[in-house]
Amino acid sequence: MTTTPSTKTFTPARPIWCAGCGDFAVQGVLEKSLQKMGIPPHKLMLLAGIGCSGTIQNNLKCYGYHALHGRVLPATIGAKLANPDLTVIAAGGDGDGFAIGAGHLVHTFKSNPSIMYVVMNNSNYGLTKGQASPTSPTGYRDNAEAGMDSMLLGLSFLSSTFLARGFSGNPEQLGELMEAAIEHTESGKGFAFLEVLSPCVTYYDTHREWRARVVNVDEDENYDPTNRTECFQKLLEFKEEGHIPIGRIFKAQHPSLESLIVNKEETYPAQQEIGHDDHRKHYDAFMKAHLG
Amino acid sequence: MSSKNSQPILEDVNVIVAGQGGDGSLTVITMLADLFRNAGLNVYTERDVLSRIRGGHAAATMRAFTGQRFCVGSHIDLLVALDEEAVEKNAHQINPDSIVVFDDSSGPLRDGLLPEGTKLYAAPFNRIAMRTMRRELYKNSIAFGIVGRLLGLEDDAMRHTFTKRFERRGQIILDYNLEALGLGLHLADEMGIKHGEGIYRIEHTEPEEHLLLMGNESVAFGFMAAGGRFFTGYPITPSSEVLETLQKWLPRCGGVARQTEDELAGINMAIGAALTGVRTMTATSGPGFSLMQEGIGHSGSGEVPMVLVDCQRSGPSTGMPTKPEQSDINIMVFGGHGDFPRIVLAPGHPEDCFYLSFDATNLADKYQCPVVIAMDQALSQNIASVKPFNLDDIEVEPGKRLTPEEVANLETYKRYGFSEDGVSAFAAPGTPGGMSLVTGNEHDEFGLVSTDPKNRVKMMDKRFHKIEVAKKELPKGREYGDPKAPIGFIGIGMMYGVILEAVEMLESQGIKTRYHQPRTIWPVLDDTFDFINSCERVYVIDLNAQAQLARLFMHQGADSSKIISICRYDGLPYRPGYLVNQILEQEDKQEAKAQ
Repeated sequence: MTTTPSTKTFTPARPIWCAGCGDFAVQGVLEKSLQKMGIPPHKLMLLAGIGCSGTIQNNLKCYGYHALHGRVLPATIGAKLANPDLTVIAAGGDGDGFAIGAGHLVHTFKSNPSIMYVVMNNSNYGLTKGQASPTSPTGYRDNAEAGMDSMLLGLSFLSSTFLARGFSGNPEQLGELMEAAIEHTESGKGFAFLEVLSPCVTYYDTHREWRARVVNVDEDENYDPTNRTECFQKLLEFKEEGHIPIGRIFKAQHPSLESLIVNKEETYPAQQEIGHDDHRKHYDAFMKAHLG
Repeated sequence: MSSKNSQPILEDVNVIVAGQGGDGSLTVITMLADLFRNAGLNVYTERDVLSRIRGGHAAATMRAFTGQRFCVGSHIDLLVALDEEAVEKNAHQINPDSIVVFDDSSGPLRDGLLPEGTKLYAAPFNRIAMRTMRRELYKNSIAFGIVGRLLGLEDDAMRHTFTKRFERRGQIILDYNLEALGLGLHLADEMGIKHGEGIYRIEHTEPEEHLLLMGNESVAFGFMAAGGRFFTGYPITPSSEVLETLQKWLPRCGGVARQTEDELAGINMAIGAALTGVRTMTATSGPGFSLMQEGIGHSGSGEVPMVLVDCQRSGPSTGMPTKPEQSDINIMVFGGHGDFPRIVLAPGHPEDCFYLSFDATNLADKYQCPVVIAMDQALSQNIASVKPFNLDDIEVEPGKRLTPEEVANLETYKRYGFSEDGVSAFAAPGTPGGMSLVTGNEHDEFGLVSTDPKNRVKMMDKRFHKIEVAKKELPKGREYGDPKAPIGFIGIGMMYGVILEAVEMLESQGIKTRYHQPRTIWPVLDDTFDFINSCERVYVIDLNAQAQLARLFMHQGADSSKIISICRYDGLPYRPGYLVNQILEQEDKQEAKAQ
């Protein structure tokens, strides 16, 4: 029997972000989407990485976790596999996710677990005072490298199922994308990857520049987010023209990780009662296998 | 039957099969172990391989005995050499009483390789395999016929074991191997090693139930028995069998065992799972354990329960991946940055691995901290016959986990609430009213980041206090030998079996000793200090160059004037005879000093 508790828990913190930071919009639409979709706070686990974006979990009422630098995806996948009943959302920045965490991102595309990952991309390292990030363009400060594009990376995996990019300066569309992403994971379809262009007003204020460069593929009748080859080609064309596509970039179907490796005939790992005698029958089978 | 009376009863025999990697030495030894176990003897097997799939010297050793042994003996009774290198590499273990079976397909054995008087049986296994079966692969099955006859095994028992071993690989493979065995038996007849006329007589006893297990399998199953349901890891020698065993068994009981992209994902996926309340483990070896340090510290500061298995191998860096060492003691105890509490347990044999893995899983949950199980390559991968585990003696102890009703009745829920024992009650995600924040950053009782100096000190003290409380129930050491003996031994892991036998050997020479096997090495428990205090001198046996175990005790306050370090770091395991010689040498020095 579960009663609705009157238990007092932590009071969500106030964001530590600078006035005008794009991350406010991300938090706003995330809260709204969760509310709209009726996900109760106790069913939500919000895991975040390191950096400015990595404080978002403190500001929401939910089960929050602050992961190690770059490790939010494995932690999030672990939580989802242990208890697929939870809504499990990962959040982080472009440094956290695309530099130190890039290997895990690649493997998350590959394994397609039903988690949502929102990356707040400000194309610099804000919290350590503005150094170049993996998405910083050539020429930002002394950056001689080319910035990476997470949508093109995601498209290169035949197992990726949901790719979208939003812009904090367009919160209405961002809300739609956020809802679609949460819906994708809630229905067990796999990994929903949402990158949000979220300008850093203090070290790299790209707000005006990005507003001028974004192209909304949701409004483009000729853009088919289910045709991988076409998507790839169009994304490259946009890039060459100096445009940044936003909207529902790609959608496909592929079995989710938890549908493949969690035994659905048994209680989920985290929901099993500890201390029951059930292990005895497994123990007997184990013994038999190792006896003469 | 009369001829049998002259044969000694087999009480303790060491057999080594050696050749090139891929020659099937391990297969021969594994089947021999199975045969002797079925005959009612205890067995212990060891492997000596290179870090490659095929080629290079590879050897497997089996010891069969009555009574309890957890190591290979001091010399080899029977060497099966599939090439000349196998004789060269193992000649140091051969004495004039040994028997050598040699594959002379490439010519006769060079003179002078073996001690005078060694009995040599030479036959061209490889050539026979190629000539009759067209595949070199079957030479080990041919050799098996000779070995089995020499050791006094029944032909039918050998056929039975072949059937058991090969039938799951298909009828054709089984038939070929049985044919090869037949060739071997025929060859034995020709060489005058007739059925029932081997060098030993095996006294078949009604076999007790014995599991043939390696430490890694025992660790895996101890975890499972303790309610462990989530495992992640990245393959690395010599820990991979923990992953493989749990991948086989955990899904059956609704658990998840997953191979991750690297060790960093391994520990962080485990942390993510542990946050939901499931009992969680990861396993690795030295290089992976180094990579996991950040996560281990996080588990300490974030108070996330975690069982970590470190199957040590020779370091530093990538070192010698297949060779045993115990040189991660320092990082198990002191690794990671900053100060955080942890527990390190050290099992001594595969049976101990089960019970300590069980304890580790309970302790991690009860004290919400990382618990490390210190293994080593030999303990991890050597196979021993162990008694079936007794589930009536163990109890799954739940941690301070709140039911939804208990949470509902709380006025305030604080994930890191201060308490008398330093352990905070835990509400699993999904529980209404239990919302909380978990972070490695210093935090207040709710988990909100805080750098307040007073809170910082209270939180650090809370975390360390847990370990003080835990001390009372941490697994105590075990003591063996003469309790009044002035000379003591301390050693962990694979040293357990070696020291026990050295104690016996020394006693037969009139030197009384005793052995303390610490089963918790961090924190160092009082029983270890008491043991050191009660001896005149204590030999701490380290499998590393810097006496990490001895120094750990001294660092914690043990009387260093009583401790004599014995260190080995050549990648070879200790043998009882080798250790006894080292001790006798030291004892001579002590005597000289006293005079």
